[in-house]
Amino acid sequence: MASEDKSRIQVLQGTLDLIVLRTLATMGAQHAYGIATRLQQVSENLLHLNQGTLYPALVRLEQQGWIKGKWSKTENGREAKYYAITNAGRKALGEETQRWRQMSGLVEKLLGEES
Amino acid sequence: MRHWKRMWAKVNSFFHRRRAENDLAREVDAHLALLAEQFQRRGMSPEEARLAARREYGGVDQAKELHREERSIVWLEQVLQDVRYAWRSLLKSPSFATVAVLTLALGIGANIAIFTVVNAVLLRPLPFQEPEKLVRVYDDLKGASVKDIGMSVPELEDLRRSGIFEGITVIFPVSTALSGGDHTERIEMLGTNVNYFQLLGAKAALGRVYGPEDAQPGFSDGVVISDGLWQRQFGGDPHVLGKRIRVDEDGYTIIGVMPPEFRHPGQTLAGDVEFWAAAGFMADPFPHPPLRAQRYLPGVMARLKRGITLQQAQQQLDALAAHLQEMYPKDYPAAGRWSLRVELAQQSLTENIQPTLLVLMAAVGFVLLIVCVNLASLLIARSSARVRELAIRQALGASRARLIRQLLTESVLLSVAGGLTAVAVLAAAKGSLVAMMPADLPRVSEVHFNLGVAGLAILLSVGTGVLFGLAPALDASRKDPNEDLKEGGRSGGSSLRQSRFRGFLVATEIALSVVLLIGAGLLIRSFWDMLRVNPGLDTKDLLVARIWIPFPNHPEANRYRTPAPIAALSREIMRQARSLPGIREVAMGGGGAIPFQPDGTNVLPFTFSDESDGGRSVLSASLATASPEYFQVLKTPLLGGRFFTDRDSDKSKRVALVNEAFVKKFARGQGLIGKRMRFRQGDAEIVGIVGDVHHEGLDAPATPHIYFSQYQSSAGEMSVLLRGASDVRSLKEAVTGIVHGIDPDLPVYGIRTMEEIMAGSMARRKFSLFLMAVFAGLALFLASIGIYGVMAYAVAQRAQEFGIRMALGAQSQDVVMQALRPGMMLTLSGVVVGVVTALGVTRSISGLLFGVSPYDPATFVGVPVLLASVALLACWIPARRAVQVSPVVALRS
Repeated sequence: MASEDKSRIQVLQGTLDLIVLRTLATMGAQHAYGIATRLQQVSENLLHLNQGTLYPALVRLEQQGWIKGKWSKTENGREAKYYAITNAGRKALGEETQRWRQMSGLVEKLLGEES
Repeated sequence: MRHWKRMWAKVNSFFHRRRAENDLAREVDAHLALLAEQFQRRGMSPEEARLAARREYGGVDQAKELHREERSIVWLEQVLQDVRYAWRSLLKSPSFATVAVLTLALGIGANIAIFTVVNAVLLRPLPFQEPEKLVRVYDDLKGASVKDIGMSVPELEDLRRSGIFEGITVIFPVSTALSGGDHTERIEMLGTNVNYFQLLGAKAALGRVYGPEDAQPGFSDGVVISDGLWQRQFGGDPHVLGKRIRVDEDGYTIIGVMPPEFRHPGQTLAGDVEFWAAAGFMADPFPHPPLRAQRYLPGVMARLKRGITLQQAQQQLDALAAHLQEMYPKDYPAAGRWSLRVELAQQSLTENIQPTLLVLMAAVGFVLLIVCVNLASLLIARSSARVRELAIRQALGASRARLIRQLLTESVLLSVAGGLTAVAVLAAAKGSLVAMMPADLPRVSEVHFNLGVAGLAILLSVGTGVLFGLAPALDASRKDPNEDLKEGGRSGGSSLRQSRFRGFLVATEIALSVVLLIGAGLLIRSFWDMLRVNPGLDTKDLLVARIWIPFPNHPEANRYRTPAPIAALSREIMRQARSLPGIREVAMGGGGAIPFQPDGTNVLPFTFSDESDGGRSVLSASLATASPEYFQVLKTPLLGGRFFTDRDSDKSKRVALVNEAFVKKFARGQGLIGKRMRFRQGDAEIVGIVGDVHHEGLDAPATPHIYFSQYQSSAGEMSVLLRGASDVRSLKEAVTGIVHGIDPDLPVYGIRTMEEIMAGSMARRKFSLFLMAVFAGLALFLASIGIYGVMAYAVAQRAQEFGIRMALGAQSQDVVMQALRPGMMLTLSGVVVGVVTALGVTRSISGLLFGVSPYDPATFVGVPVLLASVALLACWIPARRAVQVSPVVALRS
């Protein structure tokens, strides 16, 4: 399926955690479906994501204590597990964002020199 | 920090995996519901929306699996899964599981049991400070090929000054009569130097041990007693310190009680040391002034100086010996080739038992190997019945590694169950197993189940499972699932290879059994030969008792110092004992008069006074004292000259009898009667030659013996020998009564029948023989089960073929032969390999053999024949079945 649409981007290994953290920090508590929808909206459907692939990232973040899951009801009265960013998560988000910026700046610089 | 937090979360999640799984399922369901709702809102039917949601979500199970891998410790979960699965599949074949667990329990249990003993006796260091520095030093006379001739006080002082040792002490075990406690009793005392406890680094549990401040030329007043003696004679009274006791008529003061686990790390006379006394060995009761050639100290123990290895110590001792021989040529005749030898204390304590234990260890190792081979063969048979199951698992995506792991889990589960059963049985039977061990086994009280043993049990359990499970697992997982599924679960395409492999395993099993059986056979032959050795006396209806004659430190206090009172006492005991009911004849002797008592031997150096070299060559023989009736009572024949008579007393010239072995060794073709021997105490004339008595045990050759007359000796120990007309056991108490009627201060001990003593002297050999026989029997049984299993399977597989043959008119004899042939080939090849292996290894047990060559033809022929017959029987039972199948049935199945 993915091969049909070459312009869609595969999520870079390790960046998914950062993206999820950012999303939760911006939007407040969200369930997995909400996070996935949001990612697709923001990326204007450029990001290809099987929604199931969010789960490992969520459990990883939760075990690190950066987010916390809680069962709750949606507006339509359905039950869903809502994840909220914790204080430790906010701190980590700051650090990870910093690191990502350095990294991408470096890559940008190197690519700029090559061309 | 973050890492640990993750790890903790993972472990936590592992233990709450059911809740986590539920939570995950609920979350996924909720997710899908939300997605479907979304699609429905876009106008899809509920069914379409559900499918679209699934598409959008991606693989639910993959997502769950990824989640699990992140969340928990996957391999642990898989192991658990495997264990649960293995458990269920074993429950489905309970007879296989039971047989497997029981044989494994036997194999593992035997190994744990023997290792427990080996560990306690051979491996664990002696329970003292720096035990690797504790050594024994011996004087040897290489010229006369005598080892351990004792040491003299000047030699001890030379060693003390040599700079090789941090400390050195005499260890002098003696029998003593203890009074002043509950009752008069013979106890084992150890005479030492004052530094004995310091040297061992041992402390008293109550009071203190003696030390340098207690030094005296003779015995010091303060003595230390064992916990056992404290409990037995003093009721564990804490006020025992300072109490006066009488030992061999001498007064001592108790200054300390040792802890219960303290044992003297050396040979003793007849039990544990219960009483320690310090002496300088230079005043009464010891001869003084000390002479260099007077080696009355039976042993010394020392602690090596820091930085000196055993080899360096030996080199320095060699140099010292050479130096002393130069300085004192008179005391060290060149022909004697006197030398000093150093040995680790632990080794000298256990070297007698070491070969036996190592052979037993090897034997149980063999048994376990046979168990493994047997189970491997069983597992292969089982895996061919499970071909379909494995193929399906493989087709569903299980990797080969995963299949192997699952099969190994099964075998390890079996062996761990076997190991647990073994440990449970051993723990329950520990008391009776320890009681089965020969009592003279050194360090037997230290045999415990400890950490080392527990480690071995775990290692054995897991290792065994992997060992017997690996080959079948590799084999079973090698298959191509397509083939197996196509064949519809009938014997797979690999069955030929499998049955060859099983054949190889069974042949191995037979080979191992042959080796074990030959080993056991040699030991049985040795024992049999030993039983046929003429002990040199009639052991039936012979009762013996020992009397300790107190030996006070002050010669004047010794009522039995001269031959006259000894003779009077002997005569009186004999007179009264003769009137006991059922007694035919009574004799008396001194130390060494009772055969098969290891502590009775007393080796005496002597020369022939008329020898051409002026009596320079030092000879030695064992000494015993005997009353005139002694040889008639033992029924030992007179071969020349005369027995002692009542007239051979302290008023007549000293006479001696010698035995046949003495004649063989020293006569050099001349008649010995009338010859004079020169001893330190004076000369004695040989007046008679008697038959050999195997004093050192049936399995030891008779050694040269010299007998002195009871009425010309002043020995410190006496023996009473009573020949009865019938059973003499009932007279044990009467003997004590007679002696105490004459002198109540004389302790009587060691009252046993000669048959009991003989049995005791053979206990060790009997023990190892019994174990070897059990192990060999086990091996034979397992091997026959193994070959039976393979044959039964092979015949069942060829049932169709046999059915057709029978239908076409083949003779049933021919068909049986045909069915037998593969089994016979297996047996034959196993036996050949086994015999060849046995030829290579039996030499290593030659030390345990007696009268049998390690290549004994009878054993090497008999054992293979026995094994082959059993194996053929095991083949014949299934082979006969081949012709009993109705052709119709065989063809239809």
